[in-house]
Amino acid sequence: MAESNSETVATLKLLLIGNSGVGKSSLLLQFTEGTFLPQDEVSATIGVDFKVKVIDVEGKKYKLTIWDTAGQERFRTLTSSYYRGAQGVILVYDVSNRDSFDQLQTWFNELNTYCSSKEVVKMIVGNKVDRESARQVSKQEGLEMARKLQTLFVECSAKTKLGVQQAFEELVQQIIDTPSLWKKQAPASVRLQPDANVNQDTAGCLC
Amino acid sequence: MTNSTLPSVADADSCLSEKELEVLRKQFIREGEYVTDQTRFNYAWGLIKSKNRSDQTRGVLLLTDIYREVPDRRRECLFYLAVGHFKLGSYNDARKFNDSLLEFEPSNSQALALRQEIEDRVAKEGLVGMAIVGAVVAVGTIVLTALVKKK
Repeated sequence: MAESNSETVATLKLLLIGNSGVGKSSLLLQFTEGTFLPQDEVSATIGVDFKVKVIDVEGKKYKLTIWDTAGQERFRTLTSSYYRGAQGVILVYDVSNRDSFDQLQTWFNELNTYCSSKEVVKMIVGNKVDRESARQVSKQEGLEMARKLQTLFVECSAKTKLGVQQAFEELVQQIIDTPSLWKKQAPASVRLQPDANVNQDTAGCLC
Repeated sequence: MTNSTLPSVADADSCLSEKELEVLRKQFIREGEYVTDQTRFNYAWGLIKSKNRSDQTRGVLLLTDIYREVPDRRRECLFYLAVGHFKLGSYNDARKFNDSLLEFEPSNSQALALRQEIEDRVAKEGLVGMAIVGAVVAVGTIVLTALVKKK
């Protein structure tokens, strides 16, 4: 098997988070393999899934390791351990699902709790823009949320491919422009919450 | 390979820190006989991810209990049981649990990737096994030939 590792400038760790069913896995599949599966062939992610893609930015190769976390509440404790060492986090919502948008703040808080670096690049992605007639969240609202949380913002469709490449490229570009994120290895401790389903106050100690 | 799907096993191989596993263990113990399914599952998952064989074995046992007792948790139990058995080297069991999951979800990409991983590992270890047998046979032949020649 040919290894292309030797040519890559850096390995970047990206994380996808957001409510169940917003299309995180589809987004990743479209980006890494250029395919889209119909709804009846897609099953909810168990725990966490993982893909690798090497991309070219300004003539240099970067290896992306992308962790696709399950959106279901029952995996919340598991997924919290994957924030460690991430350089970029994509918060995904579904433009045709208001609830998934309203939950962004919660995901954002979780991100800030578990991410080891304050500089981690954050991006809000509004997926499923192909479902224009069913849209519940306007682009303007998405933009305002991104401004409020100080994140990047892209609308896209994993189905039609629109905006998908752009989202990842923009995120990676921003990481590259923040050398302190990846020029040194930043091993940092992670705080795993015993049970994220329980109220934060009663969840027990953080280590 | 530029675009590769790494096996789900890569995930299970990246183990938790001792502290993290300890958090899960403490929660499990603290809840005692009233332990919730969520806490059991979290702990079992942490054990499966461990490098330590006895942890992995305990994780598999715990998952087996959850699988039997909590129908709602079956799909993730099947998947992690397959991963756990795979890590322990029980490839037949790994295959069995993974195939059960695929029966319910034939296009589950995580299970399909794991199936591939199991088959690859079995083939690889089979080759190693054959190589060992081959080497033993070769050495045996040489020794025999030498013995025969001596006579």
